[in-house]
Amino acid sequence: MATDSAKQHKNRGFKISKKRLQAKKAASDGKLELPTPARPLVDTADVVVPEGYTVEPVMAGLSFPTDVTFSDDGTVFVSEGGSSWPTRPYMPARVIALHPNGETEAINMNVQAGPRGITWRDGELYMVLKGGYHGQVVKYNLQSGELKVLIDQIPSGGWHEPGGPIFGPDGLMYFGHGSVSQQGVSLPQGFTVDLAKHPTAKDVPGEDVTLTGNNVRSRDPRLPYPFMTETGAFKPFGVPAKKGEVVKGELFCNTGVWRSKPDGTDVELLAWGIRNPFGMAINEAGDLYVSDNDFEEKGERAVANDPDRIWHIKNARQPFGSVSKPDWYGFPDICGDGLPVNHEKHLPGRGTPAELLLKNPPEWAGPAAFLEQPHSCMCRMDFSRSDKFGHRGELFVAEWGTLAPLNSPREEDLDHGFRVVRVDVEKGTAEPFMHNKKMGPASSFGSGGIERPVSCKFSPDGESLYVLDFGHVKVTTGPMLAFAHTGVLWKITKK
Amino acid sequence: MENKTKELPILIELDEETRSEQLNRAAAWFNNVLLTQTSFRQLLEDTVPKIKEPHIKEYLAELAVKAKEHEEKIHELFTIIGREPSDIRTTLGSVMGKARQALGDFIAATGSAKGPWQDLHQLYLSNYNSMGALSVAEQLGLALGIPSIVDIAFVLVSEKSTAQLLLQESVLEMCSMSILYHERF
Repeated sequence: MATDSAKQHKNRGFKISKKRLQAKKAASDGKLELPTPARPLVDTADVVVPEGYTVEPVMAGLSFPTDVTFSDDGTVFVSEGGSSWPTRPYMPARVIALHPNGETEAINMNVQAGPRGITWRDGELYMVLKGGYHGQVVKYNLQSGELKVLIDQIPSGGWHEPGGPIFGPDGLMYFGHGSVSQQGVSLPQGFTVDLAKHPTAKDVPGEDVTLTGNNVRSRDPRLPYPFMTETGAFKPFGVPAKKGEVVKGELFCNTGVWRSKPDGTDVELLAWGIRNPFGMAINEAGDLYVSDNDFEEKGERAVANDPDRIWHIKNARQPFGSVSKPDWYGFPDICGDGLPVNHEKHLPGRGTPAELLLKNPPEWAGPAAFLEQPHSCMCRMDFSRSDKFGHRGELFVAEWGTLAPLNSPREEDLDHGFRVVRVDVEKGTAEPFMHNKKMGPASSFGSGGIERPVSCKFSPDGESLYVLDFGHVKVTTGPMLAFAHTGVLWKITKK
Repeated sequence: MENKTKELPILIELDEETRSEQLNRAAAWFNNVLLTQTSFRQLLEDTVPKIKEPHIKEYLAELAVKAKEHEEKIHELFTIIGREPSDIRTTLGSVMGKARQALGDFIAATGSAKGPWQDLHQLYLSNYNSMGALSVAEQLGLALGIPSIVDIAFVLVSEKSTAQLLLQESVLEMCSMSILYHERF
């Protein structure tokens, strides 16, 4: 179904090809000395995993990596995100392949931003891509070099990320996409880059909604002088909403989670109102879970103490094609704990308190399967399905880590995340699984441990957990800066 | 807990040959940074004596001190990556600063502007040019994983961005005096 948004901006000129990669093996006894001052050392001795497990670096020097997956022959694929978090600088948007014989190659693409999620199925590499006004789901055949764009209609071009693609035991493809806006209204929080590249990008609801008309007043950095402007929910920046205005829901909304046939047909919207469904995983029982990140405590629509969360997408248990109404998980008005953004518990210590945007909102589909500390930034994840590795049925989640003091003024938020946790989704509890000796990123105390885990996936035999570490990011109350060639792929194995 | 490497890890684009080649390319860009900043500093130093209005004269004199400091800081970028700046580029930068004055005089003559306003206008463009070159250097520091490059470039870009606002205000405020009234200031 072509949407209005899809007609407005069509992605064109996609190119993808295999290229030689400058890669060399390094001598290592668990310690790697690197020529990048931003991450001069990788040292397994500084990483803590439970007794009985070993950890080792598999790759280093990665630039803004986003996901890892495996082919049937044991090839390890790592996607590098191009323009990622933040969007500058753009490094090659590509997927690095490490074959079982130790040889490497790169699958480069001319996409700005780049690949965000990858998975292997039936001899083809499936990817979700960010870039332009639309998120895309594509598949690439490594043998023939053929690329097929499966989905090219998801409203994007803003702050949050595409999720998936993953495949369920039902053979269906599951994918998602987060909000364009950071806080429920399109504002210049994205360091103005989103506004510069995609000035008409906006959130799109998954069902018809009526607006309260509570607009957000902010400065407009697009103009020679930063005059004041007003912006409403589900509007491009600088466009106010009217009280009582109805915004039509669309199949290709954002904050959505969908499923389709593997060729991208018969798309079905399962859920919407999920701020950033970047991590997606299906357990052996066939239940779909997605990760989601909390509101930020800053700016013109600030929300405090919103927990990160794992949602159980209950509609995924319904027969394919039978979901007539998607479940709503709360964005842009409900926090992870089910309280509205203007509840006194969520009043910010910094920034302008948020007002409600939806009049008569849909029924909330919570509660969450698991609530995590605010700003842990739960990302990609996978279920253990191996008795040998252990913790079978538990969800392993990569936590990228906080952006405090940028997105929270609270001292207690400074070391949230920067680890891998294992979550019991039935009990709603979690335990740390991989972290540094001292909580926080290795760079904050000069060790050779982990920086920011962005993805974790089990090997095809389920016996090893690969943890993808985004690398060094410097965060202050103002700028956020990410350094290329500081990403690491770690491998954890049970002895 | 035992943390031993079983297979040798792969380094992506961190081998000595690739790294050295990328640092050489970064050094070539840093020479451009130096050229554009030298050009701006030269033009600025030559403009200060032409301005009579006391406030603008003071603003520009303060910027000239900063511009000299910025030029010296740019030399540190080369030290960080173990490379040397090009003397030719520094000299060329001074020549370009003079050339911008001539260009400003030409534009003024054809655009009905009088007085030192055309030099202000050229300063506005020249600072933007060197600020852009420094912004690129900052991105190269991020791409190479070298925080000290970013630390220097970020501060310089921030200060030049503030200077750009001042130059823009001066140019826009004084254009009517120069173009409509044909008066010096």
